[in-house]
Amino acid sequence: MTRSSEAVAGRKPQSRRWRRFVRGGGVELVLLIAGILFLWSVISQNIPNPGRYLPSPVSVVLSSYDVIWKGLLPNYIGQTLWRLVIGSVIGLLLGIPFGIALGLNRTVSDMFYPIMNFFQSISGIAILPIIVVWWGNSEKTVFVVILYTCFFPIAFNVLTGVRSTPMILVNALRTLGASRLRIVKDVLIPSAMPHIATGARLGIGYAWRAVIAGEMLAGRRGLGWMIFTAQDADLTAQVILGMVMIGVIWIMIDRFALRPIEADTIQRWGLVQR
Amino acid sequence: MSVLQTASIGLQKRFGRQRLRKILLGSIPFVVLLVMWQMNTAMEWLPPVYIPPIASIWEAIYTLSEGCADAGAVLSMQYECLFTNHILSSLGRVGLSLVIGIPSGIALGVLAGMSRRFAHALEPVGVFANAISGIAWVPLAIVWFGTGWLTTLFILLNTVFWLIFFNTLLGVRGVPRVYENSVMTMGGGRWAIISQVYIPGALPSIVTGVRMSMGFGWRALIAAEMIGGDSGLGFMIFVSAAEYKIEEVFLGVLVIAIMWMITDRLLLIPLEKWTIQRWGMVWRPD
Amino acid sequence: MPAKLVVDRLSHHYPDEYTGEDVHALDQVSLSVEDGEFSAVVGPSGCGKTTLLNILAGLLPHTEGSVQVDGREVQGPGPDRGVVFQEHAILPWRTVARNIGHGLEIQRLPRREREQKVQEFIDLVGLSGFEERYPHELSGGMKQRCALARTLCANPVVMLMDEPFAAVDAQTRITLQEELNRIAIATRKTILFITHNVDEAAFLGDRCFIFSRRPGKLKATVKINVPREQRIWKDLLSEKAYTDPRDEILRLVREEVFDDEE
Repeated sequence: MTRSSEAVAGRKPQSRRWRRFVRGGGVELVLLIAGILFLWSVISQNIPNPGRYLPSPVSVVLSSYDVIWKGLLPNYIGQTLWRLVIGSVIGLLLGIPFGIALGLNRTVSDMFYPIMNFFQSISGIAILPIIVVWWGNSEKTVFVVILYTCFFPIAFNVLTGVRSTPMILVNALRTLGASRLRIVKDVLIPSAMPHIATGARLGIGYAWRAVIAGEMLAGRRGLGWMIFTAQDADLTAQVILGMVMIGVIWIMIDRFALRPIEADTIQRWGLVQR
Repeated sequence: MSVLQTASIGLQKRFGRQRLRKILLGSIPFVVLLVMWQMNTAMEWLPPVYIPPIASIWEAIYTLSEGCADAGAVLSMQYECLFTNHILSSLGRVGLSLVIGIPSGIALGVLAGMSRRFAHALEPVGVFANAISGIAWVPLAIVWFGTGWLTTLFILLNTVFWLIFFNTLLGVRGVPRVYENSVMTMGGGRWAIISQVYIPGALPSIVTGVRMSMGFGWRALIAAEMIGGDSGLGFMIFVSAAEYKIEEVFLGVLVIAIMWMITDRLLLIPLEKWTIQRWGMVWRPD
Repeated sequence: MPAKLVVDRLSHHYPDEYTGEDVHALDQVSLSVEDGEFSAVVGPSGCGKTTLLNILAGLLPHTEGSVQVDGREVQGPGPDRGVVFQEHAILPWRTVARNIGHGLEIQRLPRREREQKVQEFIDLVGLSGFEERYPHELSGGMKQRCALARTLCANPVVMLMDEPFAAVDAQTRITLQEELNRIAIATRKTILFITHNVDEAAFLGDRCFIFSRRPGKLKATVKINVPREQRIWKDLLSEKAYTDPRDEILRLVREEVFDDEE
């Protein structure tokens, strides 16, 4: 080992982490956030009735104390997440096998491709009023909307993924004497993985927004309902708090659940389509 | 030769064998669905309050356009032309948000993407803005702008802008350095690099952004019109549902789906074909 | 006549991207390339060849020593130095013709003249019939011909080539080397060609600069006295005027490579 690298090793990892932070634009990010907060406070101090139009960051934080103390916020977050998780898990469990099944046969997939595209293009929120007519403002209504919202993008993307498997891979396995099931398991599903991951991320992304909208429209308690009723009651600080929560929670879901899956499959197999 | 054979050969020539097969196969589920729908009306398995007869949906168009005289009245959005007014106001907002959102999103995205460190710093901000874009802004937008045009436009623009900004940013950052270097060594300045390297290089990502923004945008728009609007297809669906005019709700949903498919077919797919695929930048299986 | 490209006591340091360690890439490099001369820089990987090229191209600022092209100090990239990059650096969103004319477009040459010149170079590199193709429709060898034509077409004072044939297959490489030689005869360009392939350097270069391992230093200069017109692979392999300097270069480079394994 040379002298200089020893010196660096001796200088402990802190400085390296700091360097990575700087290289990754950490300083700029901190400044940017500080700038946004500053601008926000300045605007809020210079408009009439800030409590209604744009409460300062401080009062948003203070309002959170109130909601958390009463146990409302955790409760709402829990309910919203519960709907999302149940809806999207069922959506995945149904959508993936459905997409694969349709994709197995060329005639079947050609047949169902347009109608799947049609249904995925109708947003779940658009059919919410129909479902409300059927079942009223019930929990079932919101679930059906979420399920619908994530099922179709997932199934559609899985179908596309299975159909776009290079024939040569299928043929390679055929010449090895593989059974149909084995081809599905060893070729079609892995090769459709990037599409499945993309479909899941897209579908769950739509679903997250559908939950929020669904809660507002169907009046079910949760984060969406919270910001909607807070606006009615002129509690704008709580509206902003709810929005921030919605953003933060989604980023966490995306970062820790969806993105790793996508990165894992797409990057590991070098399947990025470029 | 029978008429049927002649027609079939004519169609095959027009569309090509493969495409004709796909069109015919693809229409089967739609036909089956329509037939079942029609049978439901005849047999009354489910009452018309739940599933309206197909004919009543046609009638709904007439009911909603009662008193609407002619094309001129449609275009000038006279009050009587309710049905087309809702379509036009939704479409108008989509168009306006694209006209404003695409150029500003690209411009700011390129600007931010030019400095890699700044781009890294902006990435979390973009992620956050995208995470709360759209529907979560509705209550605040209502406080700021009241219910109506501005609120719904704001929601849509919010969705469109951030997605395009973010995708442009990522696209510019992903353009191989060597392209930039090669233009620089030919004596190209800032502007040459932006217009000849960054923007075309980021285009696949930008087009993805536009497609996503339409996917998320239409959904956000419909929800925003329901909650904070006073016109548009979402508003129409919502009001009709409240009045138990289920046929109008079905009509609205169908129109939304058709609108989206038209935007996709007429705008996004050709755009992709003419740029990205021609440049061989995306591997397309079929 | 003064040299077209003069590098005088050029040194370069940079901090490593991840560890922050100081990397000493070039150490007191001095060399010059005469007008119309084809010079080759050979050295083991990591000897600072690419750093040198980036400095000459103006993509990296230099702090110690000087680099002059046509008597002017290099400050940033400019059209007086054309670069053919190692990777396929032609723009995928431009057709072959538009890529080749890109340099002239940046120089704001009128369309008429530009098209005429572009055609000339398309013919020179043998891409006729492919004018309207996009890069992804070309083979690796054709892409590099296109890159070569793009650089030639902008008519730089000095042409810098950074291992341009490293990514093509062996057969194509031989053809491209002979083509490049033919083009060098036809255009009489001043060229600095960077490679780690000894045969390639000896085949193409009038003079070869051999670099040592990091920190890159100019270790030796070897002249190859084979007339350009006689440089054809099948004849050259038994020609002492080629094999002797080639073996000399090989010996010099090997010392560096084996040093590495100690």
